[in-house]
Amino acid sequence: MHPLLARGERLALYLALWIIVGALLASLLAGEGGLSTRAAAVIAFPLSLAYAFVCLSAWYVARSTPIATSGLPRLLSTALGAAALSSGAWVILARGWHNVLVRWGDVRAPFGEVAPIIFGFGVLLYLLSIAVGYIASAFEHARAAERRELQAQVMSKEAELRSLRAQIDPHFLFNSLHSISALTAADPAGARRMTVLLGDFLRESLSLGAAERIPLSRELALLHRYLAIERVRLGERLQVAIDGGDAGACLVPPLLLQPVVENAVTHGVAHVLEGGNVTVTATCSPVQLTIVVKNPADADRPRKTGTGLGLANVRSRLAALYGRSASVNWAEQDGTWRVEIVLPATRDVQDGDKTNG
Amino acid sequence: MADEASFRVVVVDDEPLARTVIREYLKAHPGVEIVAECGNGFEAVKAVTELSPDLMFLDIQMPKLDGFEVLELLGRSVPVVFTTAFDQYALRAFDVHAVDYLLKPFDATRFSEALMRARARIQAAEALPVDALMADARPRQAPAERVLIRDGSQVHVIPVDRIDYVEAQDDYVCFKADGKDYLKDQTMAAVEATLDPTRFVRVHRSYVLNIERIARVELYAKDSRIAILRDGRRLPVSRAGYARLSKLL
Repeated sequence: MHPLLARGERLALYLALWIIVGALLASLLAGEGGLSTRAAAVIAFPLSLAYAFVCLSAWYVARSTPIATSGLPRLLSTALGAAALSSGAWVILARGWHNVLVRWGDVRAPFGEVAPIIFGFGVLLYLLSIAVGYIASAFEHARAAERRELQAQVMSKEAELRSLRAQIDPHFLFNSLHSISALTAADPAGARRMTVLLGDFLRESLSLGAAERIPLSRELALLHRYLAIERVRLGERLQVAIDGGDAGACLVPPLLLQPVVENAVTHGVAHVLEGGNVTVTATCSPVQLTIVVKNPADADRPRKTGTGLGLANVRSRLAALYGRSASVNWAEQDGTWRVEIVLPATRDVQDGDKTNG
Repeated sequence: MADEASFRVVVVDDEPLARTVIREYLKAHPGVEIVAECGNGFEAVKAVTELSPDLMFLDIQMPKLDGFEVLELLGRSVPVVFTTAFDQYALRAFDVHAVDYLLKPFDATRFSEALMRARARIQAAEALPVDALMADARPRQAPAERVLIRDGSQVHVIPVDRIDYVEAQDDYVCFKADGKDYLKDQTMAAVEATLDPTRFVRVHRSYVLNIERIARVELYAKDSRIAILRDGRRLPVSRAGYARLSKLL
């Protein structure tokens, strides 16, 4: 729907503008065409109002040939063609109106003298209308882009919140406290170590959560802490291998891997009698950062979907932050559960201070 | 504390430190003897079957078999105090069915209370409402992917796609899978409820059939049919059973 026809008050304002155009046309006709002021006014005002409706079509012309995708020749030919056509129609209309006025005796001047003025003015007006149409659509685009941007931001914040909420898993916290309770009598020094580990982990995850991007090395350090705590609980059943390779400086959203590694422990190793290895491997090419988390899975409990494992959260968070250029995939094969995260490689160069804040 | 002299308990938890806590707290109850400590569900089923303890302290989140599955396999044969970190479904169910549970971390006082309450319950010979608890405490989830069957102290885990059919036998049901028979103390209605209704159909009062095993269904007499399985076995199909089957095929 045409934006001016959509609302009554907009149309009224638009027509009011055209009264000014009418006055302009009248003065042109009086000055250049040699008409009397009264004759010029009688011809100009009704014609302007009629042309106001003709010029509404300029908006469709602007929309059908977007500046971004149409070449200059096409733009110019379309605009000039449409303007000439509209103005031509206007001249015919003017001629009819002139005839009526001549018959009524209001106007005596021959039409031939004013026709070129009306045609030229009509072309200019139509071109102006097309230009306004382009400006309006550009404005519209900017607004839509702004809205999309806002939406993406809201989605990313929501994902962030969800991951933060999920990351202090009550099971993890209560079980760790229970372990400390056990250690206080059996191994007081161990109990102290565990409280320090837990304190460090909580403090670190809270401060990381506030940053926008962190170097992978910090995320991996947090995983080390987390897994150290889980090792106190699970003992020898949990083995850990973290290899950041040369990807330590690559930037990642904070706590991206935390829920994935948590799954690897609570839904993976913890369900396997003999336990197993949780491995985190990162590789960084100039354009892409790839992180793979692997853990043994219980063959009796196949998990084909990642729903309920928080992986859907990871996926929506990546989508909100990177769009289509990031992905997370998971699969189980031969008793191993494997999650692969791929995201654009960005390195910590100039804004190193920001990420540490 | 003369009556504590014969009180035997089994402690089940996959975390060694969690078992340490119970061991420590039980030192204050000299008449209570830990007859077994188990790190997973299989060990728990074996220990309880072989040792018939008076009470079991049972963790919920464990490898292979979780606490609920252990309970399902052992049925009413042993009183239980659950120990758990946090499980919203379970907690609600425990409250509803007045089963005692200890929330980790718990202190010695709370532990003693639970122990006393369990002993009182045992003396009053109150049965544990296992079925109701099972139904309420398991998170609402997809149909079972496996069936657990206890054979003495041994546990069989049968993936559901290995099951050919289930047959009612007096007070038991018999799972036919991989050419073997597995007896379980369960009702046909319960079997029907746990298996995926898009893969298993109750074709007859006494039979729940895996539809993938069907080769064809033949009319046998007026209103009665037989299903012929891929391996040639024949099962009766009732009129209502045939209606259910037709809806799926």
